[in-house]
Amino acid sequence: MYELVDHTEDINRLLARYGVKFGIYKNNEFHEQLFPFDPLPRIISAEEFAFLDKGLSQRVTALNLFLADIYSDKKIIKDGVIPADFVYSSKGYLPQCEKIAPPGRIYSHISGIDLVQGKDKNWYILEDNLRIPSGASYPMIARELTRRAAPSTFSRTHISDNRNYAAMLKETLDYVNTGGINVVLTPGRYNAAFFEHSYLAERSGAILSMPQDLFVEDNKLYYRQYGGKKLQVGAVYRRLSDEYLDPLTFLPESLIGVPGIMDVYRKGNVAIVNAPGNGVADDKGIYYFVPHMIKYYLGEEAILNNAPTYLAFYEKDRSFILEHLERLVVKDVSEAGGYGVIFGRDLTREKLGELAEVIRTEPRRFIAQEVIDFIDLGIVEGDHEVPRKADLRAFVLAGERTRVWPSGLTRFSRNPDSFVVNSSQGGGFKDTWVLSR
Amino acid sequence: MELTFSAPVTEHHFVFRCLPMEDRQQRCYGLEYSIEPSGRILELTDGLGNRTCVGEAMGFHDSLRVRASGTVFVDRSQEGEKAAAAHPLFRFPSVYTVADEGLRRFLEDTKRAWGSGGLSGTNTSKAGGERAVEPARSRDFLEYLMNTLYSYFSYVPGKTDVTTTAAQALEGGGGVCQDYAHIFLALCRLMGIPARYVAGMMVGEGATHAWTEVWILGAWIGFDPTNNRLVGDHYIKLSHGRDFGDCTIDKGCFKGFAAQKQNIYVKVEE
Repeated sequence: MYELVDHTEDINRLLARYGVKFGIYKNNEFHEQLFPFDPLPRIISAEEFAFLDKGLSQRVTALNLFLADIYSDKKIIKDGVIPADFVYSSKGYLPQCEKIAPPGRIYSHISGIDLVQGKDKNWYILEDNLRIPSGASYPMIARELTRRAAPSTFSRTHISDNRNYAAMLKETLDYVNTGGINVVLTPGRYNAAFFEHSYLAERSGAILSMPQDLFVEDNKLYYRQYGGKKLQVGAVYRRLSDEYLDPLTFLPESLIGVPGIMDVYRKGNVAIVNAPGNGVADDKGIYYFVPHMIKYYLGEEAILNNAPTYLAFYEKDRSFILEHLERLVVKDVSEAGGYGVIFGRDLTREKLGELAEVIRTEPRRFIAQEVIDFIDLGIVEGDHEVPRKADLRAFVLAGERTRVWPSGLTRFSRNPDSFVVNSSQGGGFKDTWVLSR
Repeated sequence: MELTFSAPVTEHHFVFRCLPMEDRQQRCYGLEYSIEPSGRILELTDGLGNRTCVGEAMGFHDSLRVRASGTVFVDRSQEGEKAAAAHPLFRFPSVYTVADEGLRRFLEDTKRAWGSGGLSGTNTSKAGGERAVEPARSRDFLEYLMNTLYSYFSYVPGKTDVTTTAAQALEGGGGVCQDYAHIFLALCRLMGIPARYVAGMMVGEGATHAWTEVWILGAWIGFDPTNNRLVGDHYIKLSHGRDFGDCTIDKGCFKGFAAQKQNIYVKVEE
């Protein structure tokens, strides 16, 4: 794999040319930055991947059952497994989606599950992303380019081909399609992940469409072709968030939505991928309950563990949190995107006291986790290989069956002292090789 | 109802929640409605069970007029909606009904005034951690609470607008039916009692009205804090939801550079 190192610059130059960039809004200005690629892949053995595959499929299957339950009978609440508070006070719970049965009964078609491998070699789930997880296109195109740069590497090593992602995506869309074409709905050129939208559309044979290309007529969704001809749409892989999706149902000020699309969906005349309302299942508070869900719906023990998590809502956990506050990381369940995350070890005595007080008065708002010391991966810096923190986003696709893509997005932090691998924080990415034997 | 625009607009999509609900207590006869300029209209139901008219007016227009007429038979002595339990959603604060210090204090003061030491039946349920008032006494207390709110809060049109929350309205001391309903909702939910917002009409009013339904002893009971009375047969219900946001009579979007004005005229005769 070290042959790839010599091609680092070429590959990064090509990535930039293809538009593999990240758009970030800062002070209301749009900035684009490159997403640096590191040539040394993360390598996962076939055996290890088989284990992850099982664990991730199990998790996503349970999450899909949970969503179906929450928007219909709510058995898991009635049976006292999950307190109602965590569902109904979650911002991700959308009453507008009550009693909608999505095509194929699938809610999270494309799930991005973030994991880290601890120094003890155990994998821990950090976060479930069930709304519109992005990132699959980056390892796809990186593989395309690395294969071009060093073909012999790929003939010598037994690596699962990850270029089948588009085919998997197409299968997923086709499975829930209610009759008509597949489209990828993008908010447009200035979205942070526009490259991904266009690339996935192109590769999966779906039509890349802007909001104004879609319209509702007689409770069906149509795509307006260049010449004015209309085509019925059976599945929308939408890359804009729930609240902007339909101005008639959610935010009326949304300019990037498709008016009436939710009614078409409620009627069962189109599949929306991923389903609106999924936010209730990838909420930080609900995360705590995922192992319980697996047990409840599948009657199995969770194969993959959560990071050890304590819920301030429960008295026992709360006293544990308050006792060990200085070594835990505390998260505000209502915040997202790295906000509301507090490391106890960074606080002064006085600040710790204040935090403890807030946890005591508003216990429902917080979870606390053990800080996981996760492994470093080598990255190339100049002429050296240096260790950096890295996580893995695995993509799980649910259609006729639930499958894990034999690859994933490995993100790393370029800062040696940082645990934060977010691309918006200047992190980079690697290809993820899953060995085929 | 009429929407008027200061300049012509196009591609107008809308959803109206302006038709009376049909349930065990309300039945519509000879209901007719028209929307001008006309386009495709669909009658649908939303996630909360409300009737909606979804449609569009694609060509240029500077007004949109909706007329609905018919007869509604109301019999509140009938048993209401059959359900084993209220949707738990209605127990939690919504956008307009998040409680603040002022609302909490108002509730505490009222409880204190009602009986020495507050409610003897108050307890903390294990599952949710929220307080529930003992059902047998809750109705009396809620009527007392409504009465207290009625004498404390004044009816002042124009003081609040459609974005005012329960907390802001209470602090301001005055508002309209929507604010009364929001405050009452927030207070009920503070006690862990499911409550929902209702948009509707009343005999003899010139505009739409709003009130609150509270889940007591297995049924939804209508409380109208604006008029300090329980909801009877002279109320016609259009829609219900977590708060005003779920029950807007008209919601929509259009293309055009125009200011809009909404006029609603309601006439209900017995």
